Amino acid sequence: MNRVLTCLFWLAIALVLTFITLPLAVVVAASLSPSSAVTFLPWEWTTVWYGNLLADRWLQPFLLSVKIATVVAGISGVLGVLAAYAVVYERLPGSTAIMAGLLSPLSVPQIVKGVAIVLFLSIIGLQGVLGTPALIAAHVVLALPFVTRMAATSLANFDGNLDRAAQSLGATKRQRLQHIVLPMIKPGVLSGVTFAFIISFNNIPLSVFLVRPGDTTLPIAVINYLEYSLDPVMAAVNVASMIFILTVIFLFEKVGGFSAQLHGGSK
Amino acid sequence: MSTIALTAPAAMPGAPARSSGYLVLAPSCLVLTIFFALPMGTMIGMSFMDAQTLSPTLLNYQRFFSDGLSLAGLYRTAVMSILVAVCVTVLGYPVAYYLARSRSRWRALVFALALAPELAGVVLRTYGWLIILEDRGFINDMLINLGLIASPLPLSKNLFAVVVGLTHVVLPFGILSLTTSIQGIDPNLERAAQMLGASRLSVIRHIILPLSVPGIVSSLLISFTMAASAYATPALLGGARFKVLATMIYEQVLFYIDWGFAAVMAIALLIMMLAISFLGIRYETRRGNRRSNREGEAS
Repeated sequence: MNRVLTCLFWLAIALVLTFITLPLAVVVAASLSPSSAVTFLPWEWTTVWYGNLLADRWLQPFLLSVKIATVVAGISGVLGVLAAYAVVYERLPGSTAIMAGLLSPLSVPQIVKGVAIVLFLSIIGLQGVLGTPALIAAHVVLALPFVTRMAATSLANFDGNLDRAAQSLGATKRQRLQHIVLPMIKPGVLSGVTFAFIISFNNIPLSVFLVRPGDTTLPIAVINYLEYSLDPVMAAVNVASMIFILTVIFLFEKVGGFSAQLHGGSK
Repeated sequence: MSTIALTAPAAMPGAPARSSGYLVLAPSCLVLTIFFALPMGTMIGMSFMDAQTLSPTLLNYQRFFSDGLSLAGLYRTAVMSILVAVCVTVLGYPVAYYLARSRSRWRALVFALALAPELAGVVLRTYGWLIILEDRGFINDMLINLGLIASPLPLSKNLFAVVVGLTHVVLPFGILSLTTSIQGIDPNLERAAQMLGASRLSVIRHIILPLSVPGIVSSLLISFTMAASAYATPALLGGARFKVLATMIYEQVLFYIDWGFAAVMAIALLIMMLAISFLGIRYETRRGNRRSNREGEAS
């Protein structure tokens, strides 16, 4: 009886892991398949589809996505750190309410935020800013609460005695911020900024309302294309963008992001 | 979840520079006001207005409840989200149990396999399922080649495809919340029961499952809210034949350009999500109360 259960348990885990990895494996296989109809597993492989990635059709949206994600990561990083500093470090009166306000966009589905922003811009007659400026603004609204929360958690968790020690040794506030507070919260902030970059780069539900012909982000270009064709170029585009994201995470990790934070940020 | 930062002791006693504190807060507040609060207000206002004349009206709401299509969309969204929540929790549970209890060196691999897809982005994964489930896709192609079926099975552009795709998208979050909850159960309880002669099955039924109910509830809630607000997966895997609120909202805005009605649909989706979150919060506080009562009696 017990043995049957153990077998079932392992079988269940194996099935779930297959379910999780199957679509990814299929996309990678399709991107290397020589046949233009994406059907069966390829027995021969080719990298010819990856050659299409440098066509304007994919390169332009990719560059726009990178540009927007970089700006969004930068803006939400700065604003998030400032807000967390004001609420947690300076302990402004009413911080709980302020924090709830800063995090409130999290409880609204993205598609609803998207509708709201596009209606608002149209009503006030700013349809002209659709495209890059609107995308940046909307992605900042999306990313800012996450960055603020991560920065606030880092600020609340770091050992205040270090700061007090520096103060009693005569360090000015500016020196303490520069040499103690900022280095201590750096891992948390960096992972927040990486996260902001990724959610902007991959975003669909907000972007779908705000892109303009000729001003389209990569995921939107991909889903527009998918509506009428499933060819292997799509697989190549998707695999390339996944590799790009993994590289970004790896680079931020090198600068001292996630794992430093996992080890308690005590470097 | 958001209050952790505030209940922990702040790093430093409040400095005298209060005004500078508000000054550094200003940019965030400004951005969120202009691009979140005002748009949300506008949207709610628009839902009570006639799109052409901008005069106040309740017609948009009336239409939502009477046109048959909208309520059907709401119903489909709810059914889809409930199915996804159940699938995620059932599929995620064994993996979460393994991750919570295992000390083996395979644990890291299982963890990576279970969570890494989250980095791949929704489009790549949905595209994978499209290739697998399409009429001329992987599964149908294989079955036809083997001579098992003559015409393709209807695997895509329906509820089944959307539930499969969304389960895949949401599963890592379900696994994470279940793992955290199972890690909180004292493994000695299981050992004690086994020593006293309980079979594996009754340990699961009488100890692990009841004690992990909070994790199960939070997995169900997270999955439901993520599924209900998803756009790309239902758009690609459901298409025109299986429309949910999110895809219907998109159509109203970009094809029919009926802003008032789009606003009503968005508000319906928002209310559904807030209601589910409210249930979750109420469950949490009730459980907290019960626990503190029990502790009160014990002391």
